[in-house]
Amino acid sequence: MADENDNERMDDNQKSDKMFTLKKWNAVAMWSWDVECDTCAICRVQVMDACLRCQAESKKDSYGKQDCVVVWGECNHSFHYCCMSLWVKQNNRCPLCQQEWSIQRMGK
Amino acid sequence: MLKEKGQLKFEDKWTYMRPIVLKLLKQEPVSPAEWQELFYDVHLVCLWDEKGPVKLRDHLHEDIVQFIKQAQNRVLAQRQEEALLKAYIAEWRKFFTQCNYLPTPFRQLESSLQGKTTSASSSMQSNNNSKKGPIDESIVRKLMLDSWNDSIFSDIKHRLQESAMKLVHAERNGEAFDSQLVIGVRESYVNLCSNTEDRLQIYRENFEAAYIQSTEMFYRMKAPEQLATNGVQAYMRYADAKLREEEARAQRYLEAGSNGVIQCCVKVLVGNPLSVLLAECAPLIKAGETERLQLMFRLLERVPEGVQPMLRELENHITQAGLADMVAAADIITQDSEKYVERLLELFRKFSKLVHDAFSDDPRFLTARDKAFKAVVNDTTVFRLELGTGRNIGGKMVAPESKCPELLANYCDMLLRRTPLSKRLTSEEIESRLRDVLLVLKYVSNKDVFMRYHKAHLTRRLILDASADSEKEEDMVEWLREVGMPADYVNKLARMFQDIKVSEDLNAQFRTSTARHDAINIKILNAGAWARGSERVTVSLPVELEDYIPEVEEFYKKKHNGRKLQWYHHMSNGTITFATTSGKFDLDVTTFQMAVLFAWNQRPHDKITYENLRLATELPDGELRRTLWSLVAFPKLKRQLLLFNPPATAPKDFDEHTTFWVNQDFALIKNARPQRRGKVNLVGRLQLSTERSQIEDNQSIVQLRILRTQEAIIKILKMRKKISNAALQSELVDILKNMFLPSKKMIKEQLEWLIEHKYMRRDDDDINTFIYMA
Ligand SMILES: [Zn+2]
Ligand SMILES: [Zn+2]
Ligand SMILES: [Zn+2]
Repeated sequence: MADENDNERMDDNQKSDKMFTLKKWNAVAMWSWDVECDTCAICRVQVMDACLRCQAESKKDSYGKQDCVVVWGECNHSFHYCCMSLWVKQNNRCPLCQQEWSIQRMGK
Repeated sequence: MLKEKGQLKFEDKWTYMRPIVLKLLKQEPVSPAEWQELFYDVHLVCLWDEKGPVKLRDHLHEDIVQFIKQAQNRVLAQRQEEALLKAYIAEWRKFFTQCNYLPTPFRQLESSLQGKTTSASSSMQSNNNSKKGPIDESIVRKLMLDSWNDSIFSDIKHRLQESAMKLVHAERNGEAFDSQLVIGVRESYVNLCSNTEDRLQIYRENFEAAYIQSTEMFYRMKAPEQLATNGVQAYMRYADAKLREEEARAQRYLEAGSNGVIQCCVKVLVGNPLSVLLAECAPLIKAGETERLQLMFRLLERVPEGVQPMLRELENHITQAGLADMVAAADIITQDSEKYVERLLELFRKFSKLVHDAFSDDPRFLTARDKAFKAVVNDTTVFRLELGTGRNIGGKMVAPESKCPELLANYCDMLLRRTPLSKRLTSEEIESRLRDVLLVLKYVSNKDVFMRYHKAHLTRRLILDASADSEKEEDMVEWLREVGMPADYVNKLARMFQDIKVSEDLNAQFRTSTARHDAINIKILNAGAWARGSERVTVSLPVELEDYIPEVEEFYKKKHNGRKLQWYHHMSNGTITFATTSGKFDLDVTTFQMAVLFAWNQRPHDKITYENLRLATELPDGELRRTLWSLVAFPKLKRQLLLFNPPATAPKDFDEHTTFWVNQDFALIKNARPQRRGKVNLVGRLQLSTERSQIEDNQSIVQLRILRTQEAIIKILKMRKKISNAALQSELVDILKNMFLPSKKMIKEQLEWLIEHKYMRRDDDDINTFIYMA
């Protein structure tokens, strides 16, 4: 008990020792897809924006739902998932390097 | 048995017929037996005498002419105008009635004469004839009317017209008379005409022409007289009254459907003194004489090119008065965006009222008003916005633009943020003021500048949670869409709201997952919607803050795949407690301010040099100077947080040996008394980008315009394949006008660039035509 009180007091002292103490911090960060190229080579829209199809379909309010994600191939090239899933129906190769397409990871 | 042809001669019968004919002409009573006999005799003559019909017609004609001569003498016996007209109208009416009676017994004659002409002419003609009504084709009737026309009418029509016009003239001078006389004459002119194609021919060529001529003569004399003796104002009332009067008079005395006389009056009353009238326009507008302007508009609208100069006067006046007003108030309005917008709206209301009251919101005047508003709003004499300040963009200077959009955006911010202004106003008042802003924005040509500032303000409000009313924030976005701001600009704003909500959810999750960290709020935002450039400012965070970073990143990695985070410490902020020996304060500060202040935590009473602060915070030189300045010279504080030596008047005056220390006597001054407790906000205007990138920001708006212009040119060419320079320019302005007005020079440069880079080429035959190259 005594120990605890001592500790508390010591904490208090430490706090009041400091001239400036943090009360609240509002930290701001920006996220972006971790891609080598900003633009989706299939629809030519920035990967941070929804792909052309999603932009056309979705009304203004569905912005920010972030359902138009990015997909990375084993070759490390990246595209809108929407764009790539249409692309592979025609041609199962990466549009940039012609390697056979297989998904390495999906953005979320 | 029938009698042989030639047995019965016309001459035998005419002796019996003629007295009856004369009785009929004179409107004397004819007994039924005589009436019957006439029928029968006509029948016999036409049947038995081969030359009978022609002879009958000629004799009939002779008697008609004879009768008309007598009538003419009776009319001309009258010396006095009214009596003459009366006598003529009486004779004419009598005669005209008989025109309907006399032909009846001669039907047989008609068909005999017509039979002759029919056999001689084509059947087509006879078909046409048979289609016409009985009166139309009555030869006897035509004979009667033509005879009247040839004899009496030709002889006395001038006297008739003259007399009629004298009466009208007398009426114009205010004398009363029997208007039926003039009307009767006019009717005789109309009925007299046997030309079935154009019944009004005689009327128009004689009566109406005389009427117009006498009207013109009347006003040619009166109008200049009125103008000279009574002045322009009275003259306009006179002209207006006379035009109405003449309209009413024409309705009485003239056939409907012709506007000749009014056109003539307008020419004489308005067209001739047009320049004198127009000279009055500017002074009337200036004096706001709406009733007189109404009158002038009513008059000048009647002449071609009458309204055009009025429109120019209005536009000039609004532009000049508006600019003069702005210049006069320059001291206040350049400092205070609220005053500026209110001043502008006051001007708009004043001139809109003028256009409403004086010109009944006529679309032409509304357009002139709008042109003038545009000139005022986009004028650069009072304040200008230098895009690409101090630097040349691609070797070219950019023309200065009006600062209006920036001030409008500032005003919006004051309404949407928690400020003394927004606290004072009701929700309805705020809405109506925001709508006012949109009204002004309509006239701004560099709307993209407004959007840039609006977005910056919105970013600050959202990051600092400083919105007065989040519902109104989102309404505003929709209103911007409604007034035609480009969809991609507006969508970006809408996206920011969505993103803030996503981020709030994330923050809630983070805080429940690590309950220990209730001192931290995180906003992790979509760089596509928010970020302005990829610049990042290095800063060495105080350990208290730094500890949070890996934990947040760890949490975020668990939630999401394939994302990278970039900390925007220049946007981060927080609250710290500042304790001195005698006081305790809560300070709202930026993260940079925090980094600087926390440097004293290890050595509260030390003086620290600029150089050592730079080492401690790792802030770039410009950022550190700016941050320090905000702590040594915060405008709202009487006692500053930090003190320094040697003295400096601007951030640039600090050198590496300048020393800084914490003001242990810091206090808030209220009513001239120091307070030892309290809360201060030192954030000021949250910085969204670094100094370097602010210059880039101005440049980026120019570059964005170049890009948009190129895109639009390509879009047009793709569609048209081949297009003339003029058509291209106008389509281009149409596409871009909701963002900015591309200058001719800029368009030309972009065309050259696109040609050079083989997006398009000039037509070989016509260098002013462009062809798309795929
Ligand atoms: Zn895509
Ligand atoms: Zn998509
Ligand atoms: Zn690939």
